[in-house]
Amino acid sequence: MLRNYLKIAVRSLLKHKLYSSINVFGLALGMACSLLIGLWVRDELSYDRFLPNAEAIHFVRVNFPTQAGDTVTNSVTPGPLQEAIAQDVPEIASVTKINYGPELLIKVGEKAAKEKGHFATDDFFGVFDLPTLYGNPKAALHQTNQIVITRKVAEKFFPNGQAVGKTLQLDNDKFYVVGAVIDNLPANSTLQFDWLVNWKVQEQDWMKKWGNNSFYTYVRLKPHTTVAQAQAALSRIYPRFAGKNFETARPTLQPITDLHLYSEYKNGKSVGGRIGYVAVFSIVALFILLIACINFMNLATARSATRAKEVGVRKVVGAMRSALVGQFLSESILTSLLAAILAIGMVWSVLSTFNEVFSKQLTLNIAEPALWLILIGLVLITGFLSGSYPALFLSSLQPIKTLKGRLQFGSGPALFRRVLVVFQFSLSIFLIVGMLAIGKQMNYLRTKNLGLDRENVVYVPLEGEIAQPKKVEAFRQEVMRKPAVASATTTMSLPVNIQSSSGDLTWPGKDPKLETNVSCMFVGSDFIKTLNIKLLDGRDFRNGSLADSTSYLVNEAAAKLMGVKNPVGKEVSFWPGKGQVIGLMKDFHINSLHQAITPLILCFDTRNTSYLLVKTHAGQTQQAIADLEQLSKEFNPNYPFNYHFLDEEYESLYRSEQVVNKLINYFGALAILISCLGLFALAAFTAEQRTKEIGVRKVLGASVSNIVGLLSKDFLKLVVIALVLASPLAWWALSTWLDTFAYQTPLSWWLFGAAGILAVVIAFLTVSYQSIKAATMNPVTSLRSE
Amino acid sequence: MIQTINLQKLFATEEVETTALNGINMEVKDGEFVAIMGPSGCGKSTLLNILGLLDNPSEGEYNFYGTEVAKMTERQRAQLRKGSIGFVFQSFNLIDELTVYENVELPLLYLKTPADERKKRVEEALERMSIMHRRNHFPQQLSGGQQQRTAIARAVVAKPKLILADEPTGNLDSKNGEEVMKLLGELNEEGTTIIMVTHSPYDAGFAHRIVNLFDGKVVTENFHV
Repeated sequence: MLRNYLKIAVRSLLKHKLYSSINVFGLALGMACSLLIGLWVRDELSYDRFLPNAEAIHFVRVNFPTQAGDTVTNSVTPGPLQEAIAQDVPEIASVTKINYGPELLIKVGEKAAKEKGHFATDDFFGVFDLPTLYGNPKAALHQTNQIVITRKVAEKFFPNGQAVGKTLQLDNDKFYVVGAVIDNLPANSTLQFDWLVNWKVQEQDWMKKWGNNSFYTYVRLKPHTTVAQAQAALSRIYPRFAGKNFETARPTLQPITDLHLYSEYKNGKSVGGRIGYVAVFSIVALFILLIACINFMNLATARSATRAKEVGVRKVVGAMRSALVGQFLSESILTSLLAAILAIGMVWSVLSTFNEVFSKQLTLNIAEPALWLILIGLVLITGFLSGSYPALFLSSLQPIKTLKGRLQFGSGPALFRRVLVVFQFSLSIFLIVGMLAIGKQMNYLRTKNLGLDRENVVYVPLEGEIAQPKKVEAFRQEVMRKPAVASATTTMSLPVNIQSSSGDLTWPGKDPKLETNVSCMFVGSDFIKTLNIKLLDGRDFRNGSLADSTSYLVNEAAAKLMGVKNPVGKEVSFWPGKGQVIGLMKDFHINSLHQAITPLILCFDTRNTSYLLVKTHAGQTQQAIADLEQLSKEFNPNYPFNYHFLDEEYESLYRSEQVVNKLINYFGALAILISCLGLFALAAFTAEQRTKEIGVRKVLGASVSNIVGLLSKDFLKLVVIALVLASPLAWWALSTWLDTFAYQTPLSWWLFGAAGILAVVIAFLTVSYQSIKAATMNPVTSLRSE
Repeated sequence: MIQTINLQKLFATEEVETTALNGINMEVKDGEFVAIMGPSGCGKSTLLNILGLLDNPSEGEYNFYGTEVAKMTERQRAQLRKGSIGFVFQSFNLIDELTVYENVELPLLYLKTPADERKKRVEEALERMSIMHRRNHFPQQLSGGQQQRTAIARAVVAKPKLILADEPTGNLDSKNGEEVMKLLGELNEEGTTIIMVTHSPYDAGFAHRIVNLFDGKVVTENFHV
């Protein structure tokens, strides 16, 4: 019997080539999209799960209650926190801290390359039991003269065998013996590094202060310890060790497996993060699959008139209804099986491009049983979803009616088809509005005036000779002498994503209860000038002035925190020392536009610097880069020259959003394409059904445009209804998304208008081909066919 | 044997109610060949549909080989129909996507007849209808007469007790029509009960008895000898 079903299914697919290919191709596109998104989602959900004992490993954040009654959560923690936890919290098996992870030059003989790594405390491998290839990483990290490297670095620098025991030079400075080689970290790891060196090698006094939050802390809980127990124990730490200023702060634990997806905190609680995008795209995948299934259902019910006779005959010769349901379902499952095979081919061919565009390393592993389960599931679900209505509808037809050709399809199936088209186009319009609105917001982020110039600003990481306190200034002066350079300054961190903050700021008359979590930056001379920041009052730091090492510049938000309109001249105390506010800056952005502007204090430090920021004259950037390279070779011959653009660094803050933007553009376009395929076939079917009517109308004098209008009107009406339905939903969803930005572009009405016009135009173009074809047919032919 | 008592059938739309059958009392014995005649719209086909268990009467009784079927559900009727009734239609009603062989095989598939048995019976039926040489053709590749012979092969392949034929020669030329009628006559001689709706007095001549319907009622019954 099954063979008979399959035979019919195959022959009926072959007989109606247009419908079949649209069905199979549309469904395959839908499945390929869902499969790709599925792979992406699976990858997103898999972060850090490769770690042995992952469920016991937690990331430590610190909650600071503010006077306003809310809580600020820091992802960076003070240096002493790790020691205090190690000493005082028996619930925790291991604790480690690492610094931000600089890229430093590794040199072995003539070979040199920059690699990212961390300085980490002794117990790093107690927390992260990473797979070891050679040596004993635990023991190696306890030594200040040893380094742990990954396989990648080992293969790069020691290609001819054993790396352990060999020596390498880090940052053109100290030499380290390779103590152990660990395996490369997978792409789905939030930790990404290629070397580790003992923390003590770089430890400085400021790193031991509770007031400075700059480091990442991780813990591993003891077996059978709950997070609540550990959390309770951790709440003792600040009151006991941190001193009066910080006694209200509380560490909070986040499972490391949540770190990638739930990175946003509001009021001390995790409020999501990338997980929102993962959810959105899971829904998009479902939408696209649904749109493709709707095509199938639509075409199948539309074609039911031609299958009705078959149903009648089968019933007359003894088919029970269940047998017919089985037959139509096996047909739709066969179609979706074909589509699945095609979809795998599609995914296969675009996967490398997809990986490139989205910086992923997704794989489609045919040998993986999970893939087969998913595929079989997808085929069955799609088959059932798309075949169920036609199966139930067709099998319910009365045999006598179908055989006598008296079958009058009531308004039921036609209405059902219209509802499906409306639904399909609502989803498409929703995605179009999403594409437009997200694109608009991304453009806003790119072009918004941040209060500081980021165009034509090149930055050079300071390392080696030019990082020496004595040479930094000389290098800067030489750079400024070049005609292509407008100005140059040094900073410890880039003014695009300032994570460092301090609770140390005090001033005479400050309310002792007032929490002052202030962002801070260490900058050299000409910072204000180079970045074109507006100085409302006072002055910039003075070149080479020793006195300015305890002078401060603050922004408007900081002035507001201090409760004064103009703080210039005010005595303040900050952790570098007691001093004076010498300037008031207009507020500018130092973070992504997700965050509102926070109080900021600038400290003058020309000795500890990491970057040289160079503002070039417009149109002379290339010349300036060439000058920089030449100077760098003179001043710093041991290091390869490299430079970056500040605006690129700024855009990288929106990597998640860019991914979303790209995903929605690609998949939105595909969703629309699939909808159009369905509409195209449906229009073809309608034109076919109305052949006689068209013939009669033409005989009676209707023009081609009359007929085209007649046939297109019905479909366009549906698209307009879809627009009305989709708009409020899209408005709500996008407002919710925009609310994650402290600064946002408005959701203008024209977005909806444009989406509507676009949908109508696309639908019209799709339908008109069929309409024109039907309208230009010779009426004699169309009448004879009846 | 089948018997109807006071069979009624009403078709109702929102505005009009039409009486298609109005108190039909009829009996058909095993092995009989009955022709039902009458003008268009007199209820012939409606009666045939009810007799063939494709439709239910609005009122009255219908005894089908000892079972009262008038109040049965579609599912029960389908179960009973299976294997016991063969249908032949004016417009052949073959499935276009299936070959001659596969069309004839269909009733046996639904009866879950074992494969060997199926093959044997399908070939028998095809031989019988002289259509064996066309077994791998699709319906659209056949002449009208060949299509109707295929349809008859399909109707008899399950060896039903009863064959219902609805104007079986209506779409055929006289030569092919004659052939089809002969086939039906032969089947009847072998013991199959046949009820046939027809407009053609010539075709009706093959029957033992002619039932004339008018406005949903039996007006006369003529017996041939």
